[in-house]
Amino acid sequence: MDGYALINILGGLLIITSLMVVLTKTIKRAAYIYGAQALVLVAIFITLGVVTDSSELFKWAGTALLTKVILIPAVVLFGLKKLGGSTVDTTPPRSSIWMIVLVAAEVILSFLAVGGVELPTALEVKPALAISLAHFFIGLTCIISQRNIVKQIFGFCLMENGSHVTLALLAPDAPSLLEIGIATDAIFVVAVMVFFAVRIYKSINTLDTNEIMNLKG
Amino acid sequence: MHVSLLMIFLLATPLTASLLMAVLPSRSVSTLVFEALHAVSVLTIVLLAGYLIITVLRGGEPIDTLGGWFYLDALGSVFVFLISALGLLTGWFSLSYLRHDLKAGSIGAVQFKQYYTFFNLFLFTMLLVVLSNNIIMMWISIEATTIVTVFLVGSYQTKLALEAAWKYIVVCTAGVAFGLYGTLLIYANAAEVLLDPAQAVLWTSLVGAAPQFDAMLIQIAFVFAVVGFGTKAGLFPMHTWLPDAHSEAPSPVSALLSGVLIKCAVLVIIRFYIIAVAALGPAFPQLVMLIIGIISVVIASLAVFSSDDLKRKLAYSSVKNIGVVALCLGFGGPLGIAAALLHCVMHGFTKALMFCISGNILMKYGTRSLKKISGIVQVAPTTAVLMIIGLFALSGFPPLAMFIPEVMAFVAGVSAGYVWIVVILGLALALIIAAFMLVVSRSVFRKAPEQLQKKDLGFMILAPEVIMVVVIVWFGVLMPGPLLKGVESATAIVMQQPDQNVLHNDPLLKDFFAAGELSGSNVNE
Repeated sequence: MDGYALINILGGLLIITSLMVVLTKTIKRAAYIYGAQALVLVAIFITLGVVTDSSELFKWAGTALLTKVILIPAVVLFGLKKLGGSTVDTTPPRSSIWMIVLVAAEVILSFLAVGGVELPTALEVKPALAISLAHFFIGLTCIISQRNIVKQIFGFCLMENGSHVTLALLAPDAPSLLEIGIATDAIFVVAVMVFFAVRIYKSINTLDTNEIMNLKG
Repeated sequence: MHVSLLMIFLLATPLTASLLMAVLPSRSVSTLVFEALHAVSVLTIVLLAGYLIITVLRGGEPIDTLGGWFYLDALGSVFVFLISALGLLTGWFSLSYLRHDLKAGSIGAVQFKQYYTFFNLFLFTMLLVVLSNNIIMMWISIEATTIVTVFLVGSYQTKLALEAAWKYIVVCTAGVAFGLYGTLLIYANAAEVLLDPAQAVLWTSLVGAAPQFDAMLIQIAFVFAVVGFGTKAGLFPMHTWLPDAHSEAPSPVSALLSGVLIKCAVLVIIRFYIIAVAALGPAFPQLVMLIIGIISVVIASLAVFSSDDLKRKLAYSSVKNIGVVALCLGFGGPLGIAAALLHCVMHGFTKALMFCISGNILMKYGTRSLKKISGIVQVAPTTAVLMIIGLFALSGFPPLAMFIPEVMAFVAGVSAGYVWIVVILGLALALIIAAFMLVVSRSVFRKAPEQLQKKDLGFMILAPEVIMVVVIVWFGVLMPGPLLKGVESATAIVMQQPDQNVLHNDPLLKDFFAAGELSGSNVNE
């Protein structure tokens, strides 16, 4: 099978896993699915590294394996333990059907937006590129639609993964220092968010965004 | 010593101070030690920043260091000036404010130490933003400002402060993720065009290569960058975190957030604007700025008028003023660009003053609700005078600082042919004037509550505020030559014109230049 075809298929898998992160009902499961999704990301980096013959992408794969597959789920699970486990689980506010329709619309819009790009590196991977853009918006959708604040953390991570895939597709030779910088930043953000989630839970005894909406923005 | 080394010292100063404070134990070490470290840090920053800015403006050449990763040009200098000057003044104000909070029991020794640690880290991250030439670094440092300031916003650990902190970190990280996406798109495009991929992260190389970029990609990238960094700047519709965070934070932090941080995000937008104009021509980037600018102005002005909370009113007024900056970038031309930059400086000082004053009010009245605040003039007369000047300044009255860029904005808008937008801007401004004059008549005057002790706050609180008022009057009446020259050189950079004297012949400003040259205060001489 052609390497690029594999990348496009993996891109599709990325959408499915991120949708599962959004829809899943418990935080613990969301953390595991997120880890699985990060593995798909690692696979994309490796495949792309083989296809484009870029040694940098293998280093990316290594960083992603460490930060996204292991550290981020670990930090969230650690925070969850501090919160006392399953008591904080939540159900999604909108029906799953709605979310699937919304995600499908995002994928279609992303395909339309990417259609106009004429960058030479983009031509072979246009479907994957559109999917990475859509992935970014699925993350945003997760932040906006989810009532559980820990789920919002995953939303941010999904947005971040989307931008990573876009960078890998468009600039496979980008120095790995760039990727390490971005991945390290994500770890910091997630750690601080978990810290505040724990603090909020301890002080207000809820993780539901509807109950911490006293400020009117 | 080489001047580029000073740039590293400038960054190292607040970082070192912050790390030192972090390792000192809060319980056994006297609060004086933290205050002393903090004072040394903010003073050193001003000295180093002042020297670097003068070097850049005198020499007319940018300084760079560490392989071009850090870079200071006239454009960056305008913002380094804001960070250092307001860092010192709000840092000074913090001393008494924090002691008051400690005494009142709203914070403990741990939070006291945390405050100064994060305050200095905050200054470090802002300096990192404005000195970055590496666009990825620029993004990382904007993100870092959020991570650091969220602890300051949550300082009081009340339910509302935690809520504001959460909203702040979620909205800003999600928003700034757009900035990352835009940054990466531009990087990817540049990596294709430039032979050396290491150059593709440097803003200075990107500007040169921009004409060869893919038009569609840069359009997407620019919109993403404006949405992303616009979130941090407080532009509609991503401004929702701002009124909460700015009102829940301790007042000196609100002053830095509104006075300086949101301007640093504006600088990043301006850097992307320059790339977009070089790649696409001015029409598209200006249209984006006009749309987002006018909506921000209108929505925020209504919110300023309807809000009953002093700090929220001030916070919404920041959204409105960042909207004005965006509009000026949308109007374009040397006058529009210069108006945008000057507005950042003038609003920075004015808003920092007003948030510090909101701190005075909180210390006296213990509330931010304007319904409960009255008779400031009897309770704290000096505060009342400073507040009146501040509110007049914020309403854009002459001869105070913000009047000048606002007039420039009107002229730039009309000469660019956007009469309707200027009319809407004028109406919004009228609403702002009405809102702030109501505060003057209801809260500053009228009868004070009986039980309040009629005694103004101490010297250490009032002195930095008096200095800010002096600056606001001084900049409004006699614009200092170096400031004008700095803004002119910065405007030339935004316009990408080799001629440094882009404003010298402008009918509005030529008298200022003539006055500057007569009095010999022009830095070029």
